[in-house]
Amino acid sequence: MPEKLVYFIRSAAGNMRQSPLLCTAAIGTVAVSLTIIAFFSILFFNIEQLTIHWGRQVQIKAFLDVVPKTEVLQAWTRKIEAFPEVEKVVYVTQMQAFERFRERLGQNADLLRGLTSQILPASLEIELKEQFRSRSGIQAVVEKLRQNQNLQDLHYGQDWLERFESFVTLLKFSAGILGSFLLFATVFIVSNTIKLTLYARRDELEIMSLVGGTPLFIKTPYIFEGAFQGAFGALVALGSTYLIYQFLLKKSLVTLLFTMGVKDIVFLPLTYQLTFLLTGVFLGAVGSMVSLRKFVRIRY
Amino acid sequence: MIRIYNVVKRYQKDSAALNDIDLRISKGEFVYITGPSGAGKSTLLKLLFCAERPTRGQILINGQNVTRMRLSQIPYLRRKLGVVFQDFKLLNNRTILENVSFPLEIQGKKRYEISKKVYQTLKLVGLEKHLQKHPLELSGGEQQRVAIARALIMDPLILLADEPTGNLDAKVTEDIMDLFKGANARGTTVIMATHNQEVIRRYPRRVIMLRDGRVEKDVTP
Ligand SMILES: Nc1ncnc2c1ncn2[C@@H]1O[C@H](COP(=O)(O)OP(=O)(O)OP(=O)(O)O)[C@@H](O)[C@H]1O
Ligand SMILES: [Mg+2]
Repeated sequence: MPEKLVYFIRSAAGNMRQSPLLCTAAIGTVAVSLTIIAFFSILFFNIEQLTIHWGRQVQIKAFLDVVPKTEVLQAWTRKIEAFPEVEKVVYVTQMQAFERFRERLGQNADLLRGLTSQILPASLEIELKEQFRSRSGIQAVVEKLRQNQNLQDLHYGQDWLERFESFVTLLKFSAGILGSFLLFATVFIVSNTIKLTLYARRDELEIMSLVGGTPLFIKTPYIFEGAFQGAFGALVALGSTYLIYQFLLKKSLVTLLFTMGVKDIVFLPLTYQLTFLLTGVFLGAVGSMVSLRKFVRIRY
Repeated sequence: MIRIYNVVKRYQKDSAALNDIDLRISKGEFVYITGPSGAGKSTLLKLLFCAERPTRGQILINGQNVTRMRLSQIPYLRRKLGVVFQDFKLLNNRTILENVSFPLEIQGKKRYEISKKVYQTLKLVGLEKHLQKHPLELSGGEQQRVAIARALIMDPLILLADEPTGNLDAKVTEDIMDLFKGANARGTTVIMATHNQEVIRRYPRRVIMLRDGRVEKDVTP
C-alpha cells in the first residue's frame, strides 16, 4: 500500500507539473467561486452578529410605581432570577432612568432642565437567556411576573419583537437559498473545469486501462489532484476574501451598519475558515470523481 | 489457450461487424488475422482484450470465460495480455522509461524491481540508450518498439497487435517482426492483425482471413 500511496502522490504532483495551465484553471475556478461564497458569508456572519446584538435587547421592563425597600427588591430579584428563562435582572433606579433619558435626548437634554429624576419610574430590567428570546419565552415570563401584584406595569415591545423575528427568519431563509445556489453553481463549474482537464488527458486514461489499471487505481491520483487543487483554491479564496475584507468591507459595511448598532465588522471565525478549506477539498475531490466516471471506462 | 464460440458482434442493430466466428488458437501459436478493410479484424482483437463485449457467443481465454467476466476482473485479465497498436498509444508527455514502467507501476510493484525489468526489456528492443527521451523525439519505428517493450514487460501470455507495422517501412517492419518472433519463441501466443501481405509471405504462419465479419479462410502452412 505505501508503494501505491507514493505512486498516487507522485503522479498527482507530476500531472500538475505537466499541465500547469489546467491546474491553474482548476485552482482559479475553486478560488473565484469560494471567494464569492466567502464574501457573502462575511456579510451574513456580521448581520447575524447584529441580530444577536439586537436579540440582547429583547427584555422585559417592569416599572415600579412605588420604589420598594431594598430587602423587598432583593427578594424579587432573587425570585425572578430563579426562573429558568431568565439570564439576569438589573434594577434601574429613578436616577439612572433619568440619566439615560437625558443621554438619549442628546442636544435636547435641556428640555429636562427644571425637572427632577422623580418624574421617571424605577424599573427592573429582566434579560432572558438566548434560547428564550422569543415571543413565547417572553410570554411565559410575563405570565409568572403578573402573579406578583406589584409587577403589573410590564413592557416588552411586542410589535418590535414580531418584526425582529420575521426579519431573522427572512435572513436565514435568503442565506440558505443564496448559499445553496452558490454551492450548486460552484460544484457545477468546478466539475466542468475538471472535466476539461480530464478531456485533455483522455488518451492517458485510456492507455492506463488498456495496460490493466483498475478504475480505482487510475482515478485515485486525479482525485488527490482535485482535492489538492480544491484545498489550494480555498486558501487563495480565504486570502483574497481577507484582502477584500481589509480594504473594502471593513469601512463600507461599518458605515452601513453603524446606525443599527454595529461598531466592528469581523472576519470569518476560525471554524468558518476550516469549513471553507474542507469545502474546497470536498469540491475538488467530488468534482474529479463525478467527471472521472465519464472518462474511465473498462469497456467502451 | 483461446476458444471463440459462435461470436457475433453488432455495433448497430442491422449490421454485424463479426458474424458467427468460431476459432481455436493454441498456446504458443503465431496467428495472422487478415482481410479487407472493415472485415472485422480490429473488432476481433477488441473482443479479446475486452474493450468490447460480444453480442452473442462465448470467448474463453486461458480457461476463463471473458464474456461472463465481471467488469472489475477485466484489468487483471489485461495484465496477462500485451497490446500493440498502429498508432502506438504512448504517453507523449512521459519519458520512455515511464512509458515502459507503466504496466508494472499500475500493479504496485517496487521501484527497484521495476527499473531492472524496464532496462532489460528496453535492451531487448534495442532502445536502452533512449530511456530519458520522450516518444515524439523518436522515429515511428522506435516508438513502436517502445510500445512493444511496454507490452512485453509483463511477460504476457498473449500478445495482441493491431496493424503494428501499418505506418512503418520495410526495414523497420522487419525489426518489429523479429521482436514478435522472439516473443513467440519465448512462449507468448502472438495474434497480429495486418493487411500487409508482404509480411505474411516473408514469415509464413497460420493465417485467418476475415471478410464481412466471417472467417473466409483459415490456413496453416
Ligand atoms: N465503435 C464502432 N461503432 C460502430 N461501428 C463500428 C465500430 N468499430 C467498428 N465498426 C464497424 O465494424 C466493422 C468492422 O470494423 P473493424 O474496425 O473491425 O474492421 P477492420 O478489419 O479492423 O478494418 P481496417 O482494416 O480498416 O482496420 C466496420 O464496418 C466498422 O464500420
Ligand atoms: Mg482495424
